[in-house]
Amino acid sequence: MAATTPGPNAVPSARPSAMSSAARPAPRRGPGRSLRTAGFHTGAILLSAVWFLPIALILIISLRSTDDVLGHGLNALPHSFHPGNYASAWTGGGMEHALVNSAVIAVPSVALTLLLASMAAFALSRYEIPLRRTLILVMLGGNLLPPQILLVPVAKLSQVFGVYDTLTTLIVVEVGFGLGFYVFVLQGFMRSIPAEIQQAALIDGAGPFQIYWRIVLPLTRPALAALGALAFTWIFNDLLWPITVLITESKMPVTPALLTLQGQFVSYWNVIAAGSVIAAVPTVAVFLRFQRHFISGLNLGAVK
Amino acid sequence: MSVASTQAHPAGAATAGGLGVRGSRGPRRDRRFKPFGPSPLLIAFVVVPLLIESVAVFWPAIQGVYISLTHWNGVNPPTFAGLDNYRRMFDDPVFRKALENTAIWLVLFGTVSAAGGLGCAMFLQRERRGIAVYRAALFLPVVFSLTATALMWQTLYQPRGLANGLLSAIGLGSWQHAWLADPRTALYAQILPALWREIGYVMVLYLAGLKGIDPALHEAAKVDGASAWQQFRNVTLPQLRSVNAVVLSVIVIDSLRSFDVVWSLTQGGPYNSSQLLSTYMYQTAFVNTDFGYGCALAVVIFVLAFGVIVSYLIRAFKETD
Amino acid sequence: MSRFEPSRRGFLAGMGALGAGVALGGCATATTPSGGAAQKGGAVTLQSDLSSPLAEKAMKSLVAAYNKQSTYTVKLNTVAATTYQPLLPTYLTSANPPDIYTWYAGSDANHYSARGLLLDVSKVWSSLGNYPTALKTLSTDASGKQIFVPTDYYWWGVFYRKSQFKKWGLSEPTTWAEFLKVCQTIKAKGVIPIGLGAGTGTAWVASAWFDYFDIRINGAEYHRGLLAGQHKFTDPQVVKVFDAWKQVLPYFDPNGTAVSWQEASNQLLQGETGMLLTGTFFADAVPAGSLDDLDFFKFPVLDPSVPDVEEAPTDGLFASSHTGNSAAVMDFMSWMTTPTAQNMWTQTSSGTVIPANPQATSPATPLVQKGKAMLAAAADLTQFFNRDSTDALQNTADTALVDFIQNPGRLDSILSTWQSQAEKVWNS
Repeated sequence: MAATTPGPNAVPSARPSAMSSAARPAPRRGPGRSLRTAGFHTGAILLSAVWFLPIALILIISLRSTDDVLGHGLNALPHSFHPGNYASAWTGGGMEHALVNSAVIAVPSVALTLLLASMAAFALSRYEIPLRRTLILVMLGGNLLPPQILLVPVAKLSQVFGVYDTLTTLIVVEVGFGLGFYVFVLQGFMRSIPAEIQQAALIDGAGPFQIYWRIVLPLTRPALAALGALAFTWIFNDLLWPITVLITESKMPVTPALLTLQGQFVSYWNVIAAGSVIAAVPTVAVFLRFQRHFISGLNLGAVK
Repeated sequence: MSVASTQAHPAGAATAGGLGVRGSRGPRRDRRFKPFGPSPLLIAFVVVPLLIESVAVFWPAIQGVYISLTHWNGVNPPTFAGLDNYRRMFDDPVFRKALENTAIWLVLFGTVSAAGGLGCAMFLQRERRGIAVYRAALFLPVVFSLTATALMWQTLYQPRGLANGLLSAIGLGSWQHAWLADPRTALYAQILPALWREIGYVMVLYLAGLKGIDPALHEAAKVDGASAWQQFRNVTLPQLRSVNAVVLSVIVIDSLRSFDVVWSLTQGGPYNSSQLLSTYMYQTAFVNTDFGYGCALAVVIFVLAFGVIVSYLIRAFKETD
Repeated sequence: MSRFEPSRRGFLAGMGALGAGVALGGCATATTPSGGAAQKGGAVTLQSDLSSPLAEKAMKSLVAAYNKQSTYTVKLNTVAATTYQPLLPTYLTSANPPDIYTWYAGSDANHYSARGLLLDVSKVWSSLGNYPTALKTLSTDASGKQIFVPTDYYWWGVFYRKSQFKKWGLSEPTTWAEFLKVCQTIKAKGVIPIGLGAGTGTAWVASAWFDYFDIRINGAEYHRGLLAGQHKFTDPQVVKVFDAWKQVLPYFDPNGTAVSWQEASNQLLQGETGMLLTGTFFADAVPAGSLDDLDFFKFPVLDPSVPDVEEAPTDGLFASSHTGNSAAVMDFMSWMTTPTAQNMWTQTSSGTVIPANPQATSPATPLVQKGKAMLAAAADLTQFFNRDSTDALQNTADTALVDFIQNPGRLDSILSTWQSQAEKVWNS
C-alpha cells in the first residue's frame, strides 16, 4: 500500500505550510553574503534538477513516437512529436476508464472516512466515553497492522459474502483500513477546541448532534481539509487493496490499470511513460490546489 | 500515561494554528469535559466506525492468524496444521532471502531517507527567494503513486536507458548494467525510486520540526562560541527528537509497505534476489494459492512491524513521563 | 514496564469489542460459495490474456461477431498476459469466477481439473469429430473427460531477417555445427547473434532453449518424464543439455535477461540481433507489415539419431466449473471451433497461427505454410515447458535458467537447487 501513515505521535496542529515562502525575513549578513547566496542557489538548482530529471525524461519520452524510440534509443533527443501516446494510453490502455473508477472509489471513500472518523473523534474527544483511551489505541492499532495479514482473509471473506469484485467492497476496505489514523488525529485536534464553546452551546440547549455538526465540525475544517487531501492521494495511489478485492479488469482503478498497461504495451516505453503521467496528474493537481493543506496534513503527525 | 495524553502534552511549539486558539500553550493539564456523559447517539458515533473497522480489519486479521495455522489451497476445506507453516520457514531459502532483503531495505531506505531528508531540510530551511520552488521540486514525487514512480524508473533502468547513458557520458561506460536484471543490483536499483519519493516527505517533516526550534537557542549557542557542527549536534538534533520519532515510524511503516515498487518492477526476481517479505507473501498466497503459508508469512511481517512500533511506543511513554 | 499495563489491558478489552465482528458470522475459510447462484441471464464473461494490440483487436471483433448471431452474450475482459498468469488461480478459485478463459492445454489444465475447478466440456467435443485425436487427448483430463477446447496452435522456430542473412551470405543451418558457424559469422559482423527476451515477466521464454536442447539431445520421452518428476534435473542427461547451451551462450545478447520478448522481437526487426528463438506469438506485438522480411528455420539437430520433435503449443479455451450458465459457455466454445470463427481469427490477428479445426483455412503466407509443414513432418510434438508440466514448475525453471544464463559457471549448484525446488512442486 502506498499510503504513508504518519506515526502515532501525532500532535494536533494545522500549521501553515512549511513550504510557503512568506515568512520571517532572512537575517542580515556581512559581506560575502551575495556570494553565499549565489552558491546556495547553484546548489539548490542542481539538487532540484537532479530530482526533476526523471520526471523531465519521462515527459519527453511520452511525447516521442515508437519508431523514434526504437530507432534512436531512449536517451536520444526527440526526433518526433507524438502526443498520440497519450491517446493510446487513454483509450487503448484503458486509463480513461480507470480514472473514472478511481474517482468512483476515492471520492466516497474519502468522504466516508472523514465523516466516520470525525464522528468517533468527536465522541472520544469531547465526552467521557468509557475505555476511551483503549478505544483510540485499538482503532489506531488496526491502522498500523501491515495490510498483508488482511489480504487473504479479506479476499476470501468477501467471496464468502458474495461481495467480492465490487467497488463497494473496495470502498469499505479502504475506509476501514484508514479509519484508525484519522480518528486518532482528529480527536487530538478536537481536544484543542476550548470547552467554553461547547458549554455555551449546551446552555443554549444544543444536543450532541448539534454540537458536533454546527460547532465542532466547522472548527475542525483545517484538519479535515488536510486529512482529506492526504486520504485522496493515498486511496488514489493504492495498489494492494484493488488487486486483492477486484479481479474484473474494467473495475480496476488507476494504479493497477497502470500495471495492466505496462503488460499490454511491453517495451513501448513511450506509451508506458504517457500512462504514468496520466496516473500522476490527478494527485499532482490535488497537491497543487491544496498544497497548504496537504503539507500541514503530513505534519499533523509531526509537529511538536 | 496513554498516547492520548502524550499527544496533548503541550511540548515545544504546539499550536492549534488553524483555529487561532492558543489554549494548548498553557500549563492546564486536563482539558476533558466531564459534564457530558455518553448518550446513545454518542455511543453510535463510536460504535459504527469501530464496527466497520472490525469488519474490514480486526476480524480478517484474526482469520489471517487462524489461516496461518492451516494448509489451505483455497478450494478444498483447510486442514489444521499447527505450526507447520512456521517450521517450514526455517528451511526455506527464499524466506531467508526475503527476510534479509527486508532488513537491508529497512536499514538502507531508513538511514538514507532520514539523513537525506534532514540534509535537504537544513539546506532549504531558510525562507528566501525561490525556496518554495526548490522545495516543491523535491516534494513533487511524494504525490506520485509508488507504481507510477516505479514505472518511470523502469524506463531509466533499461539497458539503453538514462542510467547507463549517464554512466557512459561521464566515462564510466564499464559500469553499465542491466540494473533490474542483475541479482546483485536489482534490490538496490529498486530502493532508489523509493528513496526519491521518500526524501521529499521526510524533508517536509523536518522542515516543520526545524521551524519549531526557538531561534533564541541558536543565538545563545552562537554567543557561547559554538561551531556550526556543535550547534547542529547540541541544539538542532536534540530539539528534533520528537520529529525523529515520527520520521522513524513513518519510515518503518513505509518500508514494510514497499510492496508496490518491487511488485511493479521485478516481482521479486531475478531468481528471488529482490524478494521482500511482502512480495513473497503475496506471491505465495495469490500466485501459488498456498494460503496457509502465505498467511504465516503475513504474521511474520505483522510481528516485525508491531515489534518496531511497540518498542517505539514504549519509548515514547517513558520519555513523556 | 508497569506503565504500559493499561494499554495491554486495553488491548484485551478491545478484543472483547470484536465480539461484534464475530457475531457477523463469516469465516474466511468457509468454502461454500455464496448463495444466489449468480443468475446472469444470457451473459457470460470471457477472460482473455490476448493483450497484444493486434490480438486484442482480433478477439474483440470475434466476440462481436458471436454476439451478433447468438442469443447469448459474451463479455470480453482482456487482461495483460503478465498479470493474467499469476492471477489465473485466483480467478478460478474465487467464489464468483469469470466463466470462460483463454488458456492452453496440458497438465496445468489437468491440475486445475483435478481440483474440480474446470467445466466438463465433453458435450462440445461430441460435435468435433473432425478434430485430430492428438488434440482430443491433449484436452482430456486424468478422469477421462474433456476440459479444454483448442482453437489454434503455433510453432517455435529460430527467426531471422532474410535481408540480413543475404547481406551476410548466410543460409539456414540445419546441424549444430552449421548453427555455431552462423553465430560466429554474425558476431564477426558486429551484431549480437542470438537475441533473448527473458526479462522480468517473460523469463519463461528461456525455457524454449531448454526444451529444444532436451528434445534434440534426450528425446521427447525423456523430456516428458523429466518434467513429470521421473528423472532428476541433476542427471547427466540434463547436464548435457547445458553443456550444449554453454557453447552458444557467448553468442547470446548480454541483456537477454533484462528485456522482454516484445523488446527482443523488436531488436531482431531493428537488426540489432541476428536470430531469435521464438513462438509465432511475437508477430502480434510488432508493427504490422514487418513480417515480410522474416523467415525461420527449425531448431538445429544435435544428435541425428534422435527423431525430430517440435514444440507446438495449442491454445484454446476452458471454463470454470462454477459458471452460472454452462449452456452459454458451451455454445460459445462450440462456435469458436467452427471454421468460420477460426478463419476470422487467423485473418484479423497477425495471422501466424494454425487453426485447430482441420476444415478451417490456414493463412496462405509462406511463413505459416512452412511452419505447418515442419510440424506435420515432426515425429512427435511437445507443448512447452509449463504446458507439459505446471506453471509452478515453470517458476522453478525460470529461476534456474536465468541464473544459468547469467552464471553458467555455477551450473552444479543451480541444478541441485532446481531439483530441490522442483521436488517441492511435485510433492505438493
